[in-house]
Amino acid sequence: MINIVGRTKYAYAFSIVLTVLSVASLFFWGLKFGIDFTGGTLMEVQFSQNVPMNQEVEENLKDLGLKSMALQTTANKSILIRYASEEDATNQAVVKRLTEKYPDSKQLRVDYINSSVSTELRKNSLLAIFAAIAGIMVYVAWAFRRVSRPVESWKYGAGAVIALAHDILITIGAFAFLGHFKGIEVGVPFIAALLTILGFSVHDTIVVFDRTRENLLRSSSKEQFPEIVNRSLNETLVRSINTSMTVIITLLAIYFYGGESIRDFSLALLIGVGFGTYSSIFIASALLVTFYKMQIKSK
Amino acid sequence: MIVRKKLLIRFVLIIILAIAVGLISYPKAVSKIPPVYNALNKLKVNLGLDLQGGIHLEYKADLSQVDSAKADTAMQSVQDVIERRVNAFGVAEPVIYTTRSGTDRKLVVELAGVKDINEAKNLIKETPFLEFKKEGEPDKSKEIPQELLDQLNVQIKASAEAELKKVLAGADFAEEAKAKSEDPGSKDNGGDLDWAKKGMFVPEFDKVLFDPNLKDGEIYPQLVETDFGWHIIKKIEQRGSRDNVEVHGAHILFAKKSNADATGGQPTFVSTGLTGKNLKSAIVDFKSQGLSEPQVALKFDAEGTALFAQITKESVGKRVAIYLDGEIISAPRVNEEIVNGEAVVSGNFTIEEANNLVKRLNEGALPVPISLVSQQSVESSLGQISLEKSLKAGLIGMGLVMIFMILYYRFLGVIASIALLIYAGLMISIFKLSAFTPWSITLTLPGIAGFVLSIGMAVDANILIFERTKEEIRKGRSILSAIDEGFKRAWTSIRDGNASSIITALILIEMGTGFVKGFAVTLVLGVLVSVFTAVNVSKTLLKFLVGDWIQDKLWLIGVKKTSVDNLDNNK
Repeated sequence: MINIVGRTKYAYAFSIVLTVLSVASLFFWGLKFGIDFTGGTLMEVQFSQNVPMNQEVEENLKDLGLKSMALQTTANKSILIRYASEEDATNQAVVKRLTEKYPDSKQLRVDYINSSVSTELRKNSLLAIFAAIAGIMVYVAWAFRRVSRPVESWKYGAGAVIALAHDILITIGAFAFLGHFKGIEVGVPFIAALLTILGFSVHDTIVVFDRTRENLLRSSSKEQFPEIVNRSLNETLVRSINTSMTVIITLLAIYFYGGESIRDFSLALLIGVGFGTYSSIFIASALLVTFYKMQIKSK
Repeated sequence: MIVRKKLLIRFVLIIILAIAVGLISYPKAVSKIPPVYNALNKLKVNLGLDLQGGIHLEYKADLSQVDSAKADTAMQSVQDVIERRVNAFGVAEPVIYTTRSGTDRKLVVELAGVKDINEAKNLIKETPFLEFKKEGEPDKSKEIPQELLDQLNVQIKASAEAELKKVLAGADFAEEAKAKSEDPGSKDNGGDLDWAKKGMFVPEFDKVLFDPNLKDGEIYPQLVETDFGWHIIKKIEQRGSRDNVEVHGAHILFAKKSNADATGGQPTFVSTGLTGKNLKSAIVDFKSQGLSEPQVALKFDAEGTALFAQITKESVGKRVAIYLDGEIISAPRVNEEIVNGEAVVSGNFTIEEANNLVKRLNEGALPVPISLVSQQSVESSLGQISLEKSLKAGLIGMGLVMIFMILYYRFLGVIASIALLIYAGLMISIFKLSAFTPWSITLTLPGIAGFVLSIGMAVDANILIFERTKEEIRKGRSILSAIDEGFKRAWTSIRDGNASSIITALILIEMGTGFVKGFAVTLVLGVLVSVFTAVNVSKTLLKFLVGDWIQDKLWLIGVKKTSVDNLDNNK
C-alpha cells in the first residue's frame, strides 16, 4: 500500500505553488479574451493562389479605420483578420475591399459579435461557473448526507469543491500563460471546457469518497480515519487513473486530429482533466484528513 | 432456469438492438440489398452550420417605439416577414426563431448551405422599413450666426467683382468658369447653360439673359444677385423671335453662404410613430391616365388611419416625409387633414421600381427596425474539413480506448468494447431518428467533440465495475457472484459521478449559446445513454457469456491466480 495521505504536505506544497503561480499570471497577464467576450470580428480569408504578406493586407485595409486590427497567417493558405467592430457595415466594407484587392480570396468564416452580445456572454459565463460550483457542492453534500462521522457531510462537499477550484484555477492560469506567450484566446468554448472539467473532476473525487464512505461503515474501531482514507485511496487508485486515462486518450485524439477549431478547447480539457485526476487523488481526500485533524485539535 | 431464460431474452434483445443501431448508423453494410439500403440511407444526421457551411445571424430588435404589451406580436410579425422573405429566396430549410434575454428581443436566422453569405445577408436586410415623419423645428444649433454670414458674403461679393473685372478685361470665360464657378451643374462645361427658353431661370437671372440689349458673345457688365449668389452672365448666342426666343448662355456663380447649407438644405423631420406596421396594403397606382408616372398607394389599418389623420391635421401647410430604410423617398406637402387612411407615395418611380416596392411592402414592412448583433458564417469547404477531421478524431479516439480496455481488462475489455460500439451506434441512431421527433438534434462541431469525449467517459462505468469485480474475485468470490457484486457496488459511484457531469452540462445548456449548447446536449445525452450501455448491456453480455469455464482462466479478466490464493492464505 502506498502511503498517500502521509505525503500530503508535498502535494499541498506543489498545489499551492501552482495555484499561486496561476493566480499571479492571471493577475499580471490576464486572459486574452476572444471576440466572444470583447465584441468584434474574426474573419478567416483563404487565398487560392499566393497568400499576401500581412503588411500588404494591413495597408489595403488601413483607410477603413479598423480598430485594434491584428492579422495572423494560418497553415491552410489563409489569414485570420481580427478587429474591433461596432456594426456590420464595417464588415461589409472589409469584405468588399478584400474581394476587390484579392479576387482569388474567399471568406472561409466570418464571426461577428456586437459588444452588447459579448457583454451578456461575459456575464452569463461567470454566472454559469458559479452556478456549477454551487450545484456540485450541494450535490456532493447531499450524496454524502448519511456520513456524518467522524467528518461531517458538508466537509466532503467542501473538500471536493476546493479540489475543483484548484483544478480550474490552474487551467485558467495555464491559459493566461498561453495567452501571453502564444496568443491563445479564450472564448465561450473555454467556459464550456471549464464547466466540463468541473463535472468530470468531481467524478474521480466521488469515487474515492464513495469508497471512504463504504470503508467507514465497515471498518473496525481500531482503524483511524486517516488510515481508512489512505486505504480507500489505494483501493481506488487504479480506477481513478484508468477512468481519466480513457478520457485523456479521447481528448488527445481530438487535440491531434480534430482540427484547429477545437484544438484549444481540447487543450483546456486536457489540462483540467489531468490536474483533476491529480487533485482527486492527492488533494480532495487529504483535505478530509486535514479537516479531521483540525476537528481533533479543537476538541 | 427461469433466470437463465430471462437472461437469454435480454441477450437476444441486445443483439437485435445492436444490429438495428448498427444498420442505422452504417447503412453501407447492406448496400447489396437495395430496398433496405435505400430506406436506411434516407436517415441523415442533421448537421450544424459549422459542419455543412452556412450562416447564423442574430438580429436585435429595437422595440423602444413599441408598447411593451405589444412586443410579442411585433416580434412574431418580424419573424413572419423574414420567413416570407427567406422562403422567397429559396433556401432549403431555413431556421428562424425569436429569443429573449432580459429585456432584449432577438431574431435568429440560420441558413444552411448558403454559398454567398453577403447575398443572404442583403436579402434579409433588404426588407423595407417604412416610416412617416413630420416636419420638426429646424435645428438651430448648427446655424451660423447672421453677422458671420453677412461678413462672409461681403467677402464673396468682393471676389465676384474682382472676377467680373477680369473677364471684362478679356480673360477666357470658359476657363475662368471651370476654375472659379460654384455651380456644379455647369462649371465643368465652362459655365455653359445650353439653350433655354424664357422662364427657366430665376427672374433676376432671366431678365439679364434675355435682355435684348445684351448682344451675342457679350458679358453683362454688372454682377447679378439671386438667392443662389452672385452671377457673371454671358450671352453666347440667341435664336427665334418673340415668344420663341431661345438663348444659349453661360455663367460663373459665386455662391452665397446661408444656413440652408449647414442643415443640408433639408428641414429636419421627426418620427411620428407611424410605420410599416400600420400598413394594411400597398398597390401601384398611376398619377395620370395611361401608364405614366407610377406611384404607390398605401392603405393603413385602423390604428394607422387614426395616426395619419392626426399627423396630417397637425401638418397642414407643412411637409410629411416618407422614409424607406432610413432614406427619404418623398416629402409631399399636406393640403388638408386626411381621415380615410390612404396615402400616396410618388417618388419618380419607374414602373418596375414601383412594382418592387409594392411587393416588398406587401410581403411585409418590418414593424420594428432590427440590427445585426452577431454573425457566424462558415464556408462549406471549411465545414466539410471540420466534419472529416472531427470524425477521424472520433474514430481514432474510440479505437484507442478499445485497445486500452482490451489490453488492460482482456475479456472484460472485449465486453466493454462491444458495449462501447453499441453505445456509439445508439448515439448515431438517436441523432438520426431525432429528426422525426419534436426534439430534433443538430450535430455541430462542438457536439462531435462532446460525443468523442463521451466515448472516453462511457467506459468509465465499465472500469469502475470491472475493478470492483476483480477486487471481489481477489477476495475469493466465484466469478459470477463477483460480477453481480461488482455491478451492484459500483452503481452508487457511477450514479454520483455522472450526476455531477449532468449538472454542469445542464447549466451549459441553460447558458444557451450555440457552441456550448451543441456540446452540452450531446454530453448529457452521451452520459445517459452510456450509463445504459455500460451497465445494462455489458452486464447482460457478461452474464450470458461468462460461465464456470472461466474459473480456471482468470488471466482472461486480468486477475493473477496467485493474488487470489495469497489472499486466501492470509485469511
